[in-house]
Amino acid sequence: MASYKNPQLRDRLAAEYVIGTLRGRARARFEALQRYDPELRRIVAEWEARLTPLSAAAGEIAPPARVWQMVARRIGAARGGDARAGLAFWRGLAVASTAFALILAAFIGVAPRPEPQMAMVAVMNDDRGQPALVVSWPPMKEMRDPYVRIKVVQEHPVMAPGTTWEMWMLSGGKDAPVSMGLIGIDADQTMKLRPALASRIEGAWGLAMSVEPKGGSPTGAPTGPVIFRGQCVKIL
Amino acid sequence: MTGDRLAPDPLAARLAELLAQAALKNQRAFADLYALTAAKLFGVALRILRRQDWAEEVLQECYISIWNHAGDYAVQKSAPLTWMTSIVRNRSLDWLRRPRQEAGGEEYEIAVEAWQDDAPGPMERLVASSEAAALARCMQQLEAKQRQSIMLAFFHGLSHSELAEHMKQPLGTVKTWVRRGLERLKLCLGEAA
Repeated sequence: MASYKNPQLRDRLAAEYVIGTLRGRARARFEALQRYDPELRRIVAEWEARLTPLSAAAGEIAPPARVWQMVARRIGAARGGDARAGLAFWRGLAVASTAFALILAAFIGVAPRPEPQMAMVAVMNDDRGQPALVVSWPPMKEMRDPYVRIKVVQEHPVMAPGTTWEMWMLSGGKDAPVSMGLIGIDADQTMKLRPALASRIEGAWGLAMSVEPKGGSPTGAPTGPVIFRGQCVKIL
Repeated sequence: MTGDRLAPDPLAARLAELLAQAALKNQRAFADLYALTAAKLFGVALRILRRQDWAEEVLQECYISIWNHAGDYAVQKSAPLTWMTSIVRNRSLDWLRRPRQEAGGEEYEIAVEAWQDDAPGPMERLVASSEAAALARCMQQLEAKQRQSIMLAFFHGLSHSELAEHMKQPLGTVKTWVRRGLERLKLCLGEAA
């Protein structure tokens, strides 16, 4: 590296730094130079802007949930900062499903958001029996726009690209599961219900969540693995 | 510049907003930021590192770094995803530099061969992605060897000597392909802007 003042050389080194072929000590030296040379930093940023869209060609690969769990723990989210404090509380509560549901009713009753009293709740567990989602809903008779409330109590759900999570109502007997809709990624969300479903959910005995292709199950029945399930409990 | 700040891109606007929130230590916003970007960034790391365990570790480190430096983003002139992707790329390349990482492990099954020039996948995806349209067009105008060496270097973190080995060409030849290819890309993108 003769001189870092030659504009052509600076541009070439910046390009090779960004594309990644600048290696070893040359790379380390170039990184150090950028710190004291805002103009060089600008040239690098321009190359980043030019080349980074190439990453779009790489497609997406969902990382395993443990990555977020580690990140959350390290930024303090897991042990109760502002937004996640609720989660630790919910998780701690989740011991036995029926007892939990009763405590939950009390909790929902004092929820700060003005909201009708919840009538039923389903604690959906993962395959290790750990609570993942709490779904609750008010008495449907009183609702003009029926919905269920979904709270994520486990890790932040990370859906694999091209997939969605579909919620199913299990209505006992020989009835096939009925799709309620696709859930989003928010930790606290509501899902609108079709009026026809609203009248049936009070008789449902359980809920299940399956992994489906984007846009939901193509067949109208669960096609992917069921990841969470839970029994519906009356609390009102 | 590709002008990614000029076009009103709803995702970019959302990510910038979440980064601003993360700078204020809003963990909920950061969780949303993670949900929106993790699969993209993991793909980037995995392709360079080609080991699942390394890619997970690098990704984790990068999000911690993004959390700690979200406040610095505001002063950057780049699009949020560009900023985040560069963090992941640089950390992945640094990781490869560590001498103890030379030993082979279970390699993630991304065949480097799949990036042969006649493979339709990556270029098609590139063309399909709107923010990359200009770049895709310019990439297609390169000579095949230039395009291939740029793709291999960028995606898989291949060094000049690895490129030479992979393409069975002298070191000087592949260096020239990369350099000329980058020069032509810059020129082409400048005209597009």
